[in-house]
Amino acid sequence: MSNSYIEVKNLKKYFQTPAGNLHAVDGLDFSIAKGKTIGVVGESGCGKSTTGRLMTMLLEPTEGEILFNGTDVTKLSHKGMAEYRKKIQIIFQDPFSSLNPRKTVFHSIVEPLDIHRVYRDKADKENRVYELMELVGLSERFVNSYPHELDGGRRQRIGIARALALSPEFIVCDEPVSALDVSIQAQILNLLKRLQLQFGYTYMFITHDLSVVKHFTEEIMVMYLGQVVEKAPVKQLFANPRHPYTRALLSAIPVPNLKKKKERILLQGEITSPINPKNECRFAARCSFATDECRSSTPEITDLGCGHTVRCFRVHELEEMRP
Amino acid sequence: MQKTLLDVKDLTIKFRTDDGVVEAVNKVSLSVQEGETLGIVGETGAGKTTTALGIMGLVDSPPGKIEGGSILLDDTDLLKLGEEAVRKLRGKEISMIFQDPMTSLNPVFTVVEQIAEVIVNHQQLGEKEAEQKAIEMLELVRIPAERAYEYPHQFSGGMKQRVVIAIALACNPRLLIADEPTTALDVTIQAQVLELMKDLKTKSKTSMIMITHDLGVVSEICDKVAIMYAGEIVESGSLEDIFENPLHPYTNGLFGSIPDIDKEVEFLSPIEGLVPDPSDLPSGCKFHPRCKYAQHLCRVEDPSFREYSPGHFTKCFVHEGKLSVKEVKKYE
Repeated sequence: MSNSYIEVKNLKKYFQTPAGNLHAVDGLDFSIAKGKTIGVVGESGCGKSTTGRLMTMLLEPTEGEILFNGTDVTKLSHKGMAEYRKKIQIIFQDPFSSLNPRKTVFHSIVEPLDIHRVYRDKADKENRVYELMELVGLSERFVNSYPHELDGGRRQRIGIARALALSPEFIVCDEPVSALDVSIQAQILNLLKRLQLQFGYTYMFITHDLSVVKHFTEEIMVMYLGQVVEKAPVKQLFANPRHPYTRALLSAIPVPNLKKKKERILLQGEITSPINPKNECRFAARCSFATDECRSSTPEITDLGCGHTVRCFRVHELEEMRP
Repeated sequence: MQKTLLDVKDLTIKFRTDDGVVEAVNKVSLSVQEGETLGIVGETGAGKTTTALGIMGLVDSPPGKIEGGSILLDDTDLLKLGEEAVRKLRGKEISMIFQDPMTSLNPVFTVVEQIAEVIVNHQQLGEKEAEQKAIEMLELVRIPAERAYEYPHQFSGGMKQRVVIAIALACNPRLLIADEPTTALDVTIQAQVLELMKDLKTKSKTSMIMITHDLGVVSEICDKVAIMYAGEIVESGSLEDIFENPLHPYTNGLFGSIPDIDKEVEFLSPIEGLVPDPSDLPSGCKFHPRCKYAQHLCRVEDPSFREYSPGHFTKCFVHEGKLSVKEVKKYE
């Protein structure tokens, strides 16, 4: 596995709070192959956005390694980091607050080109901005518009154009469509997919919506309170989810189809606190299968083969219990 | 035959702004029977929330103005009542749940005070009794009584939304309008809140209007559906009509653009283009710039809202037989 494009080992991020250490991301291990997409799924507070920020080094990890083409980026020098930042980009969730309201579309898109001094020639630079706008489906007539004059879908396109400006290799998409209307969501998802086919980008796609990632990724990691509870190739995960949390999450999605009403697993209670977590399975408090073992020690990852891993003590037992 | 509780006819709401007149709601007609749940579905700016605020008598005036139509609750036209009379109905006969539980609660009062406030205002109860009833309401939405004296910031998002539901239900309203009640919540918490609402619906027989952009939520809880686009209802009918036999191209487009968890597709089929600017609506059929079936007639004339099978209405020239295309392809 040493030839992986991106490899993450034991990645941790703790935040100091008055009440103790908040374990936002607590020991992630995964790798992504070039040109592929990994989906990171979970609910508020599970650490998925923190993971995205760690990958782009917008946050510094407390512990762990992020190997990008074999180089550990957490140990890069200032200069090395500037180079790395060109290759990685992030698209944020909220196109309303992630753009500077005082900058026109042109200035927003040209900013990364200016910072990294990519073009000497002004005309080349302008051409690149127009090229990027065309690439993301923004009409030229908006070049001097301000963000407030545009709707959410177009704003998100600016965010994408900015991310593409430096011809990155790896793009973290942090909930890129959750603030958008359904008909616009589909347009943006198709755009991201088309760009990947055209330029071979590698994506990390962070979302709370399992139905969105289904069409987008090869592999999915389901996170709960800073840990990955299940990781599997996308088809495998949907066909045969093994962790009780993944099952509940899948069954909770309201499906717009009258003929397929599924049995819903209703989770009790809410997500527990990520501050100084106890030595137990983090999902135990909400899990209907939890035993004393689950409440007194932390489960290790079980490898089920074919890239399917689960963090659950009772994974084999529960499989037998399934109808 | 169920009794009609709410009957809205040709409701038209306009806003006067510096950029011109915004036609937010244009001749919207809908009705809700007793014990029934109507879903209003549409995208941002379709006029769903404005319709609800119109029914609640909460449209800010100015700039907003209800330009025409009628809103009958039983046989009383709410638009003809004075402000004071509508205020007495609000919270008692009709209540509303807003989208964002984080901002719809008052941060400086305990939750029990906020629930009791409604009860004191509308029922002849003393403060002690009102508080008692408020605690009962909290238990109804499955919040333990010992948390009654806590402040909103001490609750999580899902619990805050339950407090909001408790406030809305405190006086046993006959009509509950829920404006995207689960949009701000996580999926597993959304599932809990939906389950609670379904439960309350069967127990208390309250009629509901459920405003949402999520067709999945609609299929869970609604009996009837109205699809809104650019201030108009473009299609309405029973849940089966809309899900099994959608007529309007927009309805089909909406279904087509949802990523379906049970299907394998490479690319989604979105509706091209954008929702029109409500201060500058297209001529003719409002959907024509985005419609695959649009022909010259659609650009110049506005189709009428007609019934195609009992209770199933739509507004499209294809179904009027006036275009060379005779059929709208069903989404896949």
